Amino acid sequence: MKAEIQSEALRKFVEVSGSIMNPELRAWKDQGRGVVGFFCSTVPEELFTAAGLLPFRMRGTGSTNTELSDAYFSSINCSFPRHTFNQALLGEYDFLDGLVCINSCDHVRRIYDNWIRALKTPFVQVMSLPRKVGDPQVDWYTDELNLLRGQLEEHFGVQLTDERVAEAIELQNQIRGLQKQLYLLRKADKPPITGAETLAVMVAGTAMPKQRYKDLLTELLDELEGKEGSRDYRARLMILGGELDDPAYLEIIEEQGGLVVTDSTCFGSRLMWTPVDEAEPDPIRALARYYVHDRPSCPRMYGHQPQRIAYTRELAREFRVDGIIGERLLFCDQWVVENYMTGLDLKEDEIPFMPLDREYVLSGEGQLRTRVQAFLETLEARGS
Amino acid sequence: MARVQTNVRFLSPWMRIFVAMIVGGVDVGSATGKAVVMKDGRIIGSHLIGATTRPQETARLVMEEAVQQAGLPSIDHVEHIICTGYGRLQVPFAEENVSEISCHARGAHWMAPTTRTVVDIGGQDCKVISVSDKGTVLNFAMNDRCAAGTGRFFEAMARALSCGLEGLSALENQGENPCVISNQCSVFAESEVVTLVNEGTDLPNIIAGINVSVASRLVSMVKRVGLEENLVLTGGCSKNEGLARALAAKLSIAIEKLSEDPQIAGAVGAALIAAEKAGVPD
Repeated sequence: MKAEIQSEALRKFVEVSGSIMNPELRAWKDQGRGVVGFFCSTVPEELFTAAGLLPFRMRGTGSTNTELSDAYFSSINCSFPRHTFNQALLGEYDFLDGLVCINSCDHVRRIYDNWIRALKTPFVQVMSLPRKVGDPQVDWYTDELNLLRGQLEEHFGVQLTDERVAEAIELQNQIRGLQKQLYLLRKADKPPITGAETLAVMVAGTAMPKQRYKDLLTELLDELEGKEGSRDYRARLMILGGELDDPAYLEIIEEQGGLVVTDSTCFGSRLMWTPVDEAEPDPIRALARYYVHDRPSCPRMYGHQPQRIAYTRELAREFRVDGIIGERLLFCDQWVVENYMTGLDLKEDEIPFMPLDREYVLSGEGQLRTRVQAFLETLEARGS
Repeated sequence: MARVQTNVRFLSPWMRIFVAMIVGGVDVGSATGKAVVMKDGRIIGSHLIGATTRPQETARLVMEEAVQQAGLPSIDHVEHIICTGYGRLQVPFAEENVSEISCHARGAHWMAPTTRTVVDIGGQDCKVISVSDKGTVLNFAMNDRCAAGTGRFFEAMARALSCGLEGLSALENQGENPCVISNQCSVFAESEVVTLVNEGTDLPNIIAGINVSVASRLVSMVKRVGLEENLVLTGGCSKNEGLARALAAKLSIAIEKLSEDPQIAGAVGAALIAAEKAGVPD
């Protein structure tokens, strides 16, 4: 990655995001401390932090094929669970002390069924996230989180008191605030950080000790203060989509001259745009409300598309976006319909939108370049 | 040599300032290489060859031939060259590269200025492009990561039927009762066609079924982009008359014929953009 600035903190983040087992994680494990993996940004990682465990968001980083996992999945399953499970079968996730799966989508939830048969992780749970966004669903998810709290307490022998949970929420909210500050720097005409670099920072936040991450992020923000990027670009782009954890994908887009200035993805702004409500007396309920209701939702949630498009429009306006790319993992039924609706809605705003299908592991770079180049030419033709 | 084109009047006024400039466009596709040399807003040389395994070699060979047709001693006499197509990053003699989407839009619009939708069916992809009244791209859709509805698909079908690409194309070979080919995947569609052959189905109905199935796929892409008439076809597969007829029937429109070989539309567009770029002061 060609960095806009020389920063030791940024170099660390790029390193952490570039593999599964990274030096920060290794150091944590070497201290004899536990790690719990989790799928999907709707799992409340604050509970793991409160239990003294490192929350690790599951990825398939480094995978080159799915030859082992294809015995469990089919070729029409999404490539994200196939690559991630393949990495697990190769032993890349042997460091996990626990795993929490969730019904984020049907492809991902099946990882649980395969995991408990194929692997020996000592603590594996599956959670049920409601589909609708309302008070009854917040009640439901509060129950689910209380169940998980009990399971964590029993297995790991810790007391997950309200105070501990509240402290973990406070820490995670501080991180969210810093991440948002980083995003806001990208409103500038010449942002000091690229989209690919920002994604590396965001991914690193799900793969290393929280306090250490917070300190490094503070350091990075200090370094970026008052700095300008040097990169010439043809257009300011926003990325809309789901499970995107590979900065190299954004690098290809940016190499074509499209500077990614913001996003609504589940390793991106949706992780942190709003904080958990610290004024709510029951921290478990606060988490449930946040993950079901308060944070920007993804298309798996029913009846919430108007709020999602409003969020997209708000970001596009705030970050002065010239065009939006809707990335979607092939076979994702959630995002295909969402992208269709988004395209129609954005026509009203005259914001150009290009849906792009991709595989989890970067491939078809030539096709990607062609599409992005054509999209940028289209944006330029509009502007001329 | 290509038929001389005289529609300079369709160029914007400021572009006419540069009409004396000799410019070139080269389109290095997955199956063929196309090159065009233009002067005074006219095609003075054009050529098409099968692609070699080296894009730079394909580009050089096809451009040299077009240059020769134009009566020029060498490629160096072409003042500005734009390259497009999948091999566009590999062409040393081109000043710049532009995506084939912009080039097909521009080229087709030059050949038929009433064009508002271009369906380009090439060797390894197909695209539907919505075009402005100036020939720029408004919106586009491309097939994603598979051979369905591309030249590769037709090659596979022609192989399964041992009829050649011409056999698939000819209007007299299109049966009255097209078979239903339900698989869009070229591998599975080939098996489906083999089954039909073994069941003794009439060849013309299988051929018509293949063209109807590709037309179906194109229809959904056209709908995604939004149909604006006139619609034209470009790319190698646009010469498939059976496909053109099936697509026109499904969309209930007449497909406009282009004044030039639709397969060189991308190269023509590249040459037109070369003229524009070369003329823009620094």
